[in-house]
Amino acid sequence: MIAFHQVTYTYPGASVPILRDVNLRIPSGALALVTGPSGAGKSTLLRCINGLVPHFSGGVFHGQVDVAGLDPVRASPRQVSQSVGFVFQDPESQFVFDAVEDEIAFALENAAIPFAEMHARVAEVLELLGLTRLRSRPLDSLSGGEQQRVAIAAALALRPSILVLDEPTSQLDPKGAEDVLQALERLQRLQGLTVVLAEHRLERILPFADLLVHVENQQVIAGPPRQVLARIALNPPLVRLGKALGWEPLPLTVEESRPFVAKMAFQPAPQTRKSMPEDGPTAPVLQAKALSFSYGSELVLEDANLELSGGEILGLMGGNGVGKSTLLRCLVGLLRPSRGAVTLYGKDTAPLGVADICLQVGYLPQDPNALLFADSVLEELRITLRNHHLPVREDFLLEFLGRIGLANLAAQYPRDLSVGERQRVALGAVTISLPKVVLLDEPTRGLDYASKAVLLKILQEWRQSGKAILLVTHDVEFAAMACDRVAIMEKGRVVQVGQTARMLRGRPLFAPQIVQLFPDTDWLTASDVLRACGKDGRV
Amino acid sequence: MINTWAWCGWLLAGLVALSLTRNPTYLVIIFLSITLVSTVLVRRAGARRGFFSPLYFLGFICLTASLFNALTSHFGNTILFAIPGQIPLLSGAVTLEAMTYGALNGLVLSGLFVIFMVFNQALPARALVRLIPRAFSPLAVVISIAVTFIPATRRELELIREAQAVRGHRVRGVRDALPLFMPLLVGGLERAFQLAEAMTARGFGGEGEAAAHAFRGRFAMLAGLLLILAGWLLKLVTGSSPLWAGILITAGAALILAVFVLISSRSVSTTYQTESWSVRDGIVLAGAALVLVVFLVPSISPWHFMQNYNPYPQITLPSFNPWAGCAILGLLLPAFLVVSVSK
Repeated sequence: MIAFHQVTYTYPGASVPILRDVNLRIPSGALALVTGPSGAGKSTLLRCINGLVPHFSGGVFHGQVDVAGLDPVRASPRQVSQSVGFVFQDPESQFVFDAVEDEIAFALENAAIPFAEMHARVAEVLELLGLTRLRSRPLDSLSGGEQQRVAIAAALALRPSILVLDEPTSQLDPKGAEDVLQALERLQRLQGLTVVLAEHRLERILPFADLLVHVENQQVIAGPPRQVLARIALNPPLVRLGKALGWEPLPLTVEESRPFVAKMAFQPAPQTRKSMPEDGPTAPVLQAKALSFSYGSELVLEDANLELSGGEILGLMGGNGVGKSTLLRCLVGLLRPSRGAVTLYGKDTAPLGVADICLQVGYLPQDPNALLFADSVLEELRITLRNHHLPVREDFLLEFLGRIGLANLAAQYPRDLSVGERQRVALGAVTISLPKVVLLDEPTRGLDYASKAVLLKILQEWRQSGKAILLVTHDVEFAAMACDRVAIMEKGRVVQVGQTARMLRGRPLFAPQIVQLFPDTDWLTASDVLRACGKDGRV
Repeated sequence: MINTWAWCGWLLAGLVALSLTRNPTYLVIIFLSITLVSTVLVRRAGARRGFFSPLYFLGFICLTASLFNALTSHFGNTILFAIPGQIPLLSGAVTLEAMTYGALNGLVLSGLFVIFMVFNQALPARALVRLIPRAFSPLAVVISIAVTFIPATRRELELIREAQAVRGHRVRGVRDALPLFMPLLVGGLERAFQLAEAMTARGFGGEGEAAAHAFRGRFAMLAGLLLILAGWLLKLVTGSSPLWAGILITAGAALILAVFVLISSRSVSTTYQTESWSVRDGIVLAGAALVLVVFLVPSISPWHFMQNYNPYPQITLPSFNPWAGCAILGLLLPAFLVVSVSK
């Protein structure tokens, strides 16, 4: 059991506590889902459970935490590590060694577990997480989902009774995320493990959760998921729909929603969503023509074709490692394809340098931190303009910042901002030259619902202004809200392109909740359904 | 997989051989043996062919060293041509002997580089770290992290370079490196912080009695080093080898050794991977020993005088003894005995 009694915690240098008078009780064997906006204190709450807060972070801690009979504040993290396993967001950043078995055995070696028992435990966790066949593999040869399962196995090697995970699926494709979640569900069911898990995409985890813990404004609301969801604004699409249509009890899964749909007193109108023509808009702005690219002998792109037109948002989806990011990098000239061509407004980009292409094509890479180094948000924008030898006008910069929702953060140090704000600063840094084409690689990674809504608004405004936007994403719910068309990539090729509804409907792993619930319509989001019901889509 | 200690023996033999001979016939045999081992390792690991080719590397280094030596060293009887004028260092005769000597140095340098590359290919980071005594297990973990951090940092730098390039950034001078350096530094620190947090969460780091022992151990080691330093200074000041200097140095060394043994015996960590010793490892070590005997024991090795070769002042054909050549092929044995490698 985990119990918080009147816990108040303030980070070093902070003027106000991030958690204030928190009381919380998580029973043994439960799966608790921790949610809340970015920066609200979810990670802090999790780190209180194994003593990283305050032992590692410093700061002022009041109150008491009881974790399986231990007080993590009085005990050391080393002692607590015997009872609490901890898994971080990015598996790569927590690996000490370079091979699967060695990594799992690390904690056992530190705990001086005898040789024979150590081998038995490693074999046990490998089996539990379905990693036995990968036991000798180098870690950098594994997919994201496999790496995260190794991280979980490493955390479980000491046989803790509690497993804490900080956004473990945020960097994974739908398949990788599902593998990890199924592994967790199996562990909880078979081993009676208490699982505490922070996550932004509630729709993935809600079906498994026994307890929902919402952290916001220094406070914690905890209870059965339905009760908590009724009181908070962060809602996945189905819950949002259920609330708007007064469904009781509030459904958490597609299966739970079906009886309500059966009773709905209207016939679904199959075409309510404003869509692009099936064959795409005319006059492509950016074209990839039969692109091939290899890393050494490994063929990553093979005759990949893609067309992007002005005034559309095209989603590019597919599993990890199918070549999506490589395609984007070929489009902006960072990689030179071995065959094929890229054309911009009908002209081959091969003779152009990266900077010349990126003056017309804004490209946001996956990690915004790689872009940011200046002292202020405003300076980041100035640097891009200077790099491109464009005039720097302060009034224009401030107006631009206002358009991307950063006007009040102009003087802030970019790396101190929240994940969503940092993402927008990076977006601003690559689009301040006002390119007509924008390419985005996983822009919603680690974003909460509010940050995604702001990003969506920016993209929709850009589409209205005629920009061509290519969005690489694993986030099916965001793709459903944003994209006019979706292209699916498999094994280095674009295998299918078409209207979003048709593309997402045809692939169970990519199907958003609303598509699963209304498979015979072109509805993709809760707003589509509500509009069809004659209600305000913004509910 | 061949035992780590057998690989260490092989590395030692290769280094000794490369350092002690300038005879091109033997150097070529050593280089080709090492290269063949490298090729087999790459194929067995199933790794894709890399950009690095030992033979191309050899060609480049030999050519560069040969040209450099020919242009800067003007000794030798076989003059190819002369650089006229009074250009410092460069003017004078360009001789075949100087070119040959430069090429031989290039051959040695390439061999040293490739043999370390093979050693790194053959053993995972963990096996190298395991060579560090248990008393220094925290140090071993730190080295392991450093080894895994290098490729991660290289990947990070590439991402940052690309990210800055799409903002129109071009590297033209040192000042242009700031947009690359700052995110790399900050990102590296963030990753180090995350890793430290993850390691703490997994129970790494001594505490209580173990930490106290480690602290006392470090203190005693420092005292031992100070004793050695005092003895050395005493010897330096007096200019002879007084008895007290010898006593101080011996006492310091004994203290360090005692602490070393004590900390090892009290080390609270265990080891997951242990290595067994097989006939295969014995064969590799025997091959390495044969090479060492040929190069280190002149009284046993009747071919010792043949190792030496000097192209100056008049180039001659190097001597070659087929038995010595066969003995050097001991370095080739891992190529036949490697069955699998872990990276």
